[in-house]
Amino acid sequence: MINIANLVKRFGEKVAVNIDSYVVNNGDMIGLVGNNGAGKTTLFRLILDLLKADNGHVTIDDVDVSKSEDWKQKVGAFIDESFLIDYLTPEEYFYFIGKVYGLKKEEVDEHLKPFEQLMNGEILNQKKYIRNFSMGNKQKIGIISAMIHHPEILILDEPFNFLDPTSQTVIKHVLKKYHEEHQAIVIISSHNLNHTVDICQRIALMEHGLIIRDLSNEHNSAEAELEAYFEAKIEEEPIKQKEPAEEVAVELEGVKADEGATVKEE
Amino acid sequence: MNVIYELYKLGKLANKRHPMYESSKYAKVFIYIFAGFWLLYLAFFGILFAFGFEGESVEPYHMLNMGLLFVLFFDFVMRFTFQKPPTQEMQPFLLLPIKRMRLIDAMLVRSGLSGFNFIWFFMFVPFALLTVMKFYGLWGVITYCFGIWLLCLINNYWYLLCRTLLGEKIWWLLLPVVVWGALALGLFLPEESPIYDFSLNVGEGFITGNLLTFLAVLAVLAVLILINRWVLSRLSYQETAKVEDEKVKHVNDFGFFNRFGEIGEFMRLELKLFTRNKTPRQQLIMISSIVIMFVLLVSFTDVYGDSMSTFIYFYNFAIFGVMFLANVMSYEGNYIDGLITRKETIYHLLLAKFYLYTVLMVIPMILMIPAMVMGKSSFLLCLSWLIFVSGPVYCLLFQIAVYNKNTLPLNTKLNTRVNTNAIQNVISFAVFGIPLIARFALDALLGQNVTNIIFIIIGLGFIATHRFWIMNVYRRLMTRKYVNLEGFRSSRQ
Repeated sequence: MINIANLVKRFGEKVAVNIDSYVVNNGDMIGLVGNNGAGKTTLFRLILDLLKADNGHVTIDDVDVSKSEDWKQKVGAFIDESFLIDYLTPEEYFYFIGKVYGLKKEEVDEHLKPFEQLMNGEILNQKKYIRNFSMGNKQKIGIISAMIHHPEILILDEPFNFLDPTSQTVIKHVLKKYHEEHQAIVIISSHNLNHTVDICQRIALMEHGLIIRDLSNEHNSAEAELEAYFEAKIEEEPIKQKEPAEEVAVELEGVKADEGATVKEE
Repeated sequence: MNVIYELYKLGKLANKRHPMYESSKYAKVFIYIFAGFWLLYLAFFGILFAFGFEGESVEPYHMLNMGLLFVLFFDFVMRFTFQKPPTQEMQPFLLLPIKRMRLIDAMLVRSGLSGFNFIWFFMFVPFALLTVMKFYGLWGVITYCFGIWLLCLINNYWYLLCRTLLGEKIWWLLLPVVVWGALALGLFLPEESPIYDFSLNVGEGFITGNLLTFLAVLAVLAVLILINRWVLSRLSYQETAKVEDEKVKHVNDFGFFNRFGEIGEFMRLELKLFTRNKTPRQQLIMISSIVIMFVLLVSFTDVYGDSMSTFIYFYNFAIFGVMFLANVMSYEGNYIDGLITRKETIYHLLLAKFYLYTVLMVIPMILMIPAMVMGKSSFLLCLSWLIFVSGPVYCLLFQIAVYNKNTLPLNTKLNTRVNTNAIQNVISFAVFGIPLIARFALDALLGQNVTNIIFIIIGLGFIATHRFWIMNVYRRLMTRKYVNLEGFRSSRQ
């Protein structure tokens, strides 16, 4: 379980993340959507303890991520190219990651089998270093490396970026299958509403650092609401910046999500 | 649009907005104080030479003119530390509606107008006022300083050419080595070197305002500018046309390290970092060449006395570790996010680095065999340096990992300047200073053999406890990891 409490992160004057309370339960598959600058990547970096929060904390199975490293064994993540060791070949990189998580070579080979369709014969046995692959193939390598040790929590930032339409479809299938087989927590962020709605049971909509909607997505029910929201945005005035959680006195029309999250709403 | 002026403004902004420069106001103040100190130091030397050379059979300005090549050589070497060449700045402009050659011309002009070319005025102007003025008046001072400035410009474009070529292939290092080497041979080998006379005449020509001298110097300058222009234009096409499709014929997996578990994995990673990336590979080649040169000089010549030999022995053992550990974690800054999200990988990485660089000490040990055979050094002395460097010297260098937050690109050209913070510089100086001071003191007090044994005991102590001090480094690094991660991120290219 991931528990976010009073989490605030500022960059100068701008509040990048401002989440009162948000809980991700075991087995959740969550799509995080929002416009550019909403705070999605910042939130991921806070969850992965790559950024220091100005206030609040994130716990994974009751372990504060900033105070212990024990949670790292359970998590697999890929945010961007800076996660890749680009002077290795993909095979070397996968074996290296596998070794870090205590997997033997044979186990890594076994774990790579479900990704054969995604790799499409373009990644393994190419005798190329990662740096010489296209952006799309680098993206695939990053995603696979995040999943190779079968993490209990999988975090992917914009996994559909740089991928061709076929690969996007394949990755959707891979993620869905992974979630079903391993009952893992999967959190993905994306600008692509269609893909996100297709595979995620729960959609969190972020805007200016706040999770302003936490929607259940049974039978793609969230799609219409999200589309309506983004179309309405075109004619709305910009939303004002909020003060940190403890200083805010905002009237809430709170919507409690099915799984018990509390959200702020404009 | 005045391309030259626009590029000049952008260059100034780039320097002012560099993440390392912006990160600390103390660093900025320190830089200005440091620069001011060195300029005053140069002025001091100018005055010192003016009075120091008095009383000789020739005028002071004759003496300094004879030594102009030394000044130019020192200037040339300094530029490698402080001056950035323009090739890496061209890329953002290549798609704009600016003619490529105009861009190159603008960059060459900007290079010529760089403040670095005026630094020597701080020495030559006071010198000329004290020595030249009394015979040739103010006009003599002006023409002399103008001539010196032209020589600095020649040096500037000569440096630019060498640095640009060096950025393409490390073997272009031979070009300045051969040229300066030939000049050095011409200076030191003959009993009465014609190069001194030539240098004297050039200086004299500047002072007297000899038109032929100025024309000759301008001709050399023009030739260098044209060569630079041609080289840069060729390289700019190569840069944009280059398709990096590096097919690897044979992937060396360094399978030997399989038996060492996770640490072996990181040792393997470190070796791959050096063998598969241009920047660290070129550094390794350059340092290895210098070490081999030093060893040959010490082993087979009497050029260096005892104290210098001590420095060279230490240098040979320390330099590999210093070169890479002085920027420890800088290369990893390119992918630190991926490492740090996995448990204790940084700790294992630090351990792996320690083991690998300790084992690599065997290389300078082997290189020192000729010196041992020639009786210039003893096995015990070399062993004491080997163990001492692997112990307290490495312990000191690993402290840099706690504070280093600057990413170094893995495959940039060698002409990229490396930015270091104050702590890195202090530790790097301490690493060379403290062991040498300790060595000289103990040698004087206790003799070489006892000192060797003391060094071995201290070194073994640090090696035996390496897990403790590396864990300490790791814990302190993790305490300030957010600051470091932010630094690595912002300095990534």
